[in-house]
Amino acid sequence: MFNIDNKEKWEEYYKNELAIISPALNNFGFRLEKEQPHLGGEKYLMQAVTTASGKKLILLARRVSDNKRVIIKVTRDIKGIYELEHERVCRAALKNIIFAYKDFFYPAEILFVKDKGYAISAQEYIEQKISFFDRPLEEQFYFVLKAFKTQEGAHATTYRHKKIIAKTFGEKNTEDYVHMFSEFKSGILKCLSDNKRINLLIDKAESLITANSEMIEQYCGFLTHTDFVPHNFRIVGDDIYLLDVSSIRFGNKYEGWARFLNFMTLHNRPLENALIFYIRNNRAEEEYRSLELMRVYRLGEIILFYANSLEKTSGDLKILTESRVEFWSDVLEAALQGKQVAEDIVNRYCEFRDKLRSKEEKERQKELY
Amino acid sequence: MFPPEIGEPASYVKELAGRLSKDYQVTVVMYGRLPEKVSGVSFICVDKRKPLLLRLLRFYFVLLKEAKTADILYAENGGSVELPAGFVAFFISTPLFIHTGDIAVMERIKNSKILKYIQNFAFKRARKVISEIPLERPEIMPFGLKPQKEMDVYFKSWDEHISKLKNIFSNV
Repeated sequence: MFNIDNKEKWEEYYKNELAIISPALNNFGFRLEKEQPHLGGEKYLMQAVTTASGKKLILLARRVSDNKRVIIKVTRDIKGIYELEHERVCRAALKNIIFAYKDFFYPAEILFVKDKGYAISAQEYIEQKISFFDRPLEEQFYFVLKAFKTQEGAHATTYRHKKIIAKTFGEKNTEDYVHMFSEFKSGILKCLSDNKRINLLIDKAESLITANSEMIEQYCGFLTHTDFVPHNFRIVGDDIYLLDVSSIRFGNKYEGWARFLNFMTLHNRPLENALIFYIRNNRAEEEYRSLELMRVYRLGEIILFYANSLEKTSGDLKILTESRVEFWSDVLEAALQGKQVAEDIVNRYCEFRDKLRSKEEKERQKELY
Repeated sequence: MFPPEIGEPASYVKELAGRLSKDYQVTVVMYGRLPEKVSGVSFICVDKRKPLLLRLLRFYFVLLKEAKTADILYAENGGSVELPAGFVAFFISTPLFIHTGDIAVMERIKNSKILKYIQNFAFKRARKVISEIPLERPEIMPFGLKPQKEMDVYFKSWDEHISKLKNIFSNV
């Protein structure tokens, strides 16, 4: 049984919003699809920790004139409106990064309008013939590496570059990462004050990040998509489309890698191993160390996310959330020893998760990639 | 350019510094901060985040100081290096060699009179302009066999390049 207060509130929120927004969308020439996978399951828990994430609905729709599939983001939440506007600014800026070496691809904007307090953003839906995980491993590796190399091609180092990027993408340097991690630690201690093991791990992680802050700084100034996971990109032909452009900023080049590799610890170990192999065999030792540090950083963020979610959950979902805290702590423990978490720990967690996950959430997960 | 800067000639300069440091005392004067370490090589960094004129002046004075005790000045092409290096070579007798390893710069020069002028200024003061670029290091991928043949060819191209440079330096 889910926590009634939060899940019900979410359902009430999105049903109310849909009732208001559907006629407006019809007026703008869009028709909502019957199935809305981005509304159900555990979606109500999704609130980003480190990006400016406001409350908004992500809807699938069709443009009535030509039946073109579109993604519509709609909100009247102030943070949500800021996020949508910020995404537009980032998209425009991506076109103008004159110091980038490679091209970026992203969905075209079809409509952006403010109407009766709502901000509505419609973007083309990028159809994939085959989902990312259904591709052969070599192809997954090829595309991911290509995406990371494209992002790394934009390196802001000069005075003129800094002026351009400060206005749009924002930038994180090592002081910001160290400060953010201490915020993660405070949050985790607040939620899990009785858990001595996790408190000790987070302490060690903070010490590691602080002691190696210069190595983090060494690889700052690179364009990085901080939420680079399969549900945030699409592959068409040989091109990779980055979704959620608001998650792009200048920071440590391995922040995006870290998010991706932590994700693959759970979803595709061979791909994780292949990418680590690539870094170890083709890049400097400092780069690998910077990647390790960023993985520790992002693990702190994941643990905080689930620790915060505990109070919003009950029943099976609460048990699942507790096991998620433990699982990611196991991953962190291994990372602090310079190792990858054992395969059997991942398998045990996945089995347990699949038993407890709701049917709705399982359906939502299928649609994501 | 020097790693963690991306793109050529950053990786060329790193490889060159490492190889030359076996037989020479090598100091890299570079724009940037926090260079990737190379055993036996010392670094002097000029912060790229300062306004253009300030960083050019700083680079010039740093290079001037190092050139006084150096036997060879080996510079990569690019206006922000060519300009100070050209002036240093004007005032100091340390021989200057310019390597045209930055292909992107060579392309940009075609459309810029100022960059062309700076390059000509520096080239006139250089003892020699070297254009040979060794092969790029082949990537080792997680699938399939290690590209041993390509690696051998890569190492050979570097051995030849170093040998040529040593020959040039010894004739100074």
